Amino acid sequence: MKTVDPVELGLFKSAFHSIAEEMGAALRRTSFSPNIKERRDYSCALFDAAGNVVAMGDHMPVHLGSMPMSVRVAIDTLDLEPGDVAILNDPYGGGTHLPDITLVAPVYVKNKRAFYVANRAHHSDVGGMFPGSMGNAREIYQEGIRIPPVRIIRRGRVDREVLGLILYNVRTPEEREGDLTAQIGSCRIGERRLLEMAAKYGLPAVNRRMTELLDYTERLVRSTIAQLPAGEFSAEDFLDDDGAGSSSIAIRVKIRLDPKHRRAHIDFTGSDPQCGGSVNAVYAITWSAVFYVFRCLLDGDAPCTAGLMRPITVIAPEGTIVNARPPAAVAGGNVECSQRITDTLLRALAQAAPHRVPAASSGTMNNLTIGGIDPRTQKPFAYYETIAGGMGARPDRDGVPGIHTHMTNSLNTPVEALEYFYPFRVRRYSYRRGSGGIGKYRGGDGLVREIELLVPSQVTLLADRRSRGPYGLSGGSAGLRGHTVLVHADGKNDTLPGKCSVQVSAGDRIRIESPGGGGFGERR
Amino acid sequence: MRIAIDTGGTFTDCVYEEAGALRVLKIFSTPSNPADAIVAAVKQISGARKESVEVRHGTTVGTNTLLERSGARVAFITTSGFEDTLAIGRQARPSLFDWFASPEPALAPQERRFGVVERTLPDGAILEALNPNTLPSLVEAVRASGAEAAAVSLLFSFANPAHERAVGAALAALGIPVSLSHQILPEFREYERASTVAVNAYLAPRMSRYLGEIESRLGAGHVSVMQSSGGIVAASVAAREPVRTILSGPAGGVVGAHHVAKRAGIDRIITFDMGGTSTDVALVDGVPAASHESQVAGLPVGVPMLDIHTVGAGGGSLARFDSGGALLVGPQSAGADPGPICYGKGKEPTVTDANLILGRLDPERFLGGAAKLDEARTRKYCEQAKGPLDTVEEFAEGVVRIADATMEKAIRLISVERGRDPRDYTLVCFGGAGGLHACALARALRIPRVLVPIMPGALSALGILISDVVKDYSRTVMVAPDSPDLESGFLALETRGRDELRAEGLEGVAARSLDLRYKGQGFELNVPAGKKVVAAFHEAHRQRYGYADPARPVEVVNVRSRFVASSKPVRFPKFKWQRGNAQQAIVKRHGGATFYERELLRAGDAFAGPAVLVEYSATTLIPRGARAQVDAWKNVVISV
Repeated sequence: MKTVDPVELGLFKSAFHSIAEEMGAALRRTSFSPNIKERRDYSCALFDAAGNVVAMGDHMPVHLGSMPMSVRVAIDTLDLEPGDVAILNDPYGGGTHLPDITLVAPVYVKNKRAFYVANRAHHSDVGGMFPGSMGNAREIYQEGIRIPPVRIIRRGRVDREVLGLILYNVRTPEEREGDLTAQIGSCRIGERRLLEMAAKYGLPAVNRRMTELLDYTERLVRSTIAQLPAGEFSAEDFLDDDGAGSSSIAIRVKIRLDPKHRRAHIDFTGSDPQCGGSVNAVYAITWSAVFYVFRCLLDGDAPCTAGLMRPITVIAPEGTIVNARPPAAVAGGNVECSQRITDTLLRALAQAAPHRVPAASSGTMNNLTIGGIDPRTQKPFAYYETIAGGMGARPDRDGVPGIHTHMTNSLNTPVEALEYFYPFRVRRYSYRRGSGGIGKYRGGDGLVREIELLVPSQVTLLADRRSRGPYGLSGGSAGLRGHTVLVHADGKNDTLPGKCSVQVSAGDRIRIESPGGGGFGERR
Repeated sequence: MRIAIDTGGTFTDCVYEEAGALRVLKIFSTPSNPADAIVAAVKQISGARKESVEVRHGTTVGTNTLLERSGARVAFITTSGFEDTLAIGRQARPSLFDWFASPEPALAPQERRFGVVERTLPDGAILEALNPNTLPSLVEAVRASGAEAAAVSLLFSFANPAHERAVGAALAALGIPVSLSHQILPEFREYERASTVAVNAYLAPRMSRYLGEIESRLGAGHVSVMQSSGGIVAASVAAREPVRTILSGPAGGVVGAHHVAKRAGIDRIITFDMGGTSTDVALVDGVPAASHESQVAGLPVGVPMLDIHTVGAGGGSLARFDSGGALLVGPQSAGADPGPICYGKGKEPTVTDANLILGRLDPERFLGGAAKLDEARTRKYCEQAKGPLDTVEEFAEGVVRIADATMEKAIRLISVERGRDPRDYTLVCFGGAGGLHACALARALRIPRVLVPIMPGALSALGILISDVVKDYSRTVMVAPDSPDLESGFLALETRGRDELRAEGLEGVAARSLDLRYKGQGFELNVPAGKKVVAAFHEAHRQRYGYADPARPVEVVNVRSRFVASSKPVRFPKFKWQRGNAQQAIVKRHGGATFYERELLRAGDAFAGPAVLVEYSATTLIPRGARAQVDAWKNVVISV
């Protein structure tokens, strides 16, 4: 066995990571969707010639597993030539949900395909039956334009036909074009940096470091598993409903830890069948949730590479809520089911390592989309945001209030940015006092966000934890459930279900109260 | 006479002009009260002189107060319903994969956050008028909270400050410092603005006490303070707006480096200031540029600060192997206590220890011989820490390479990642440890030249000495580039600027600039105002991000005005240039390298690597193949 040079390893680890971060910074600074520029709902990554991810920026955990799958599908479908860039968003072909559009570009070194770079960004609208494309549809055909891997750039030139087809199918084409241009620019930056590296160190050296980095990550995970107790740990948790008439939907998992052979086996057999609404997760999401949970068990600066999942197997039966098949709708699988899968995994893991696992965090992203016609421009607008909730209490400290947890880390949109660009007025943005679960350590409080609509608008909500609060651990109580109220201009209040789409009048207000985190330990 | 005084962790550096020459005085800092060292230094320098003394100060009081979280009890007042803005921040967690991490707590806790019922709209119209009858109870509540300073930041107050002014006037009755957001940072994005104002309030009581003490102990002497933006302001302004002084000292370093380089005929530089625990780098392209999106100690600060990037790698950074077998260096540091192994107390290897093992430090001549370095001890502990590597030399080389890589990444971030090619720049290195790494870094980044300036150990003080008085003003306008509102926006800023300068007895020149973006983007680029401002924006976008779209509409987010009142220029001594080979400066030969004493070099001397240039507070390594040249100002310019 060839020995690994620890100096080179440390060096390249940070170099690859900084390229992915740089791609992200460029994307953020040049994009138009509030989702990308203000909320940072995007991910950037580098891949070796075989499509193994070797570095990801510190962006969206829900993309961890699915970015590599997008690249895999793109390179298996298309023979990408120098200067080409592929575009795709099909959740059943490496994607997550339709608003997440992924671009994949090959990097050629001396006529040889040496690497790939990719980025994915959440676009504010990709068409479909709801403005913002994040509603509770019944099948994927209602959710927006579905893009299989195709070339949006051929040999360095934008394919106007493909671009036109996409732009004809969305509500805000100018914004889409701007965001896609930003994504292309970001790919070019990644490409340029990898070419510089190859020129400086030589392609064989860079390839060797990539291989070593994958092995290194594998070693990190294996040594972590080796410290966990042997055994089988099961748990279940539930989504409230599918918003299409179902009752609660169970996710069940068995985690089998084998410290002796340094392996883990994760089995979701027994989870409920896929549902009629849109909270179905595709396999990539389930895989990402497992990736995320094991990544969190590692040291602070461990890289997110394909090596991380080598000692881990994930079984998710087809046709279930954790591995949906077409034509199931999936917009909410990425944002809601992904959180519940994580909650379920943590609940099981808490039995194996009670001192390392926090109680359940809010467990919903409270996806709010608002669409209508802006009277100032007479053009359609589509706005999307997620609202954070309380973090679950930790085994040795309280949870943090009003903060995004687990599969997302998107920022809020500043009130002052929002009111410049949309016909809204924000009336309140505060902590939801007393919503965190009780215990030796308290769960973090949720948030209250109240938005007044200044024009008639279609308001769409995709949220969960409306019937069960986030669980506590070791005797701590659950956090408060989420709650949504439509306050009419005349003062009348309507409680809205977690998953709904309503037409509201000018002067109406929507108030979202997000769940608090679960408590930890018995209160003394 | 004018004296610049830069307070550092160990030394207080002073630079002043005397009899046509620049002089340096270094005395030990007095961390418990930094004013003691300042007063002592001024006494020592001015002695029995009659002429009045003008003191210009680079202070760490602001930074340290923030880092140690030892500032005032702040009350935060905002529009009712948004009291938690300061704590919620952007609702994102600081560390993506760490369940145990928590964000920095807000500077004002819940019990000191207050709401006033009022609402201003984006265009400045009043939706809900502030009822003056509600103010007395607010004032009483703030008083009862025990607040020592108040920060007021109402929604959209930059569009119409009427309500904020009224709240400020009411709070004045409390006799505590009151910071108003439309004065400190009249720009949109409520969290970043509120954070900036809260930081200001947090620092205000201590800073005004501190500067007040200096002023009173120095008598009637005129005291001014270096701002993070690279300009000087009167101490009275700094006391009121201390948030502008957080990077006081490092900004002096950038200004000093820029000035020395310019004199040597170099106007594109990358500054490299490596200290014990961290390294500051900055890129200067013609003039030092300021950023408006800085983060300090985990808090956003929106006032202009020179774009100085800091990384946690310095001479004291610790080296270790992680569980996957990769060698890591920093960000943990051995600090002053226990310090590196070679200082005699520490047991974990640091970058300084690695440099010693590689023969790049002279154990006898460290700090002018004031400290001896223990090489045997260093080897012993490094032997234990070298992991799978064969020799301590191999280990030491690895540590240095990793530290270099961290610093290379920092420089890359401010250069390559912003579309600047390092080949067009000169690396200016100062601070104690910079010279050991500068040439290796320059080679890795293909920077062709390294400049080791005069007074590398007091360059920040030199920068402060030569700085102009600078005042920055801005306001969010959010209009098209051809809007008539631009002109009125500028005129308002300029009226305020002229009035404030006049109050200090100064006249200044105003420069206008605009923050532009494509309509709908979330980030702006700053472009000088003028007829071709839109074309300049497209070009700036192309340069920074690789493309531009002239068909897209452009919008103006902020108008900016910068007033500069020039200081009386400082005369730099120029030496007679004579071709020489520096023989007179050779102090020893060791390990194949020749050691030169900086003091003994003459203008015009040239020599080749491998060489080590030693001076009181710095050591510079000149590798094989590199060539050093002493210029007419006694800077050493190395072609790597």
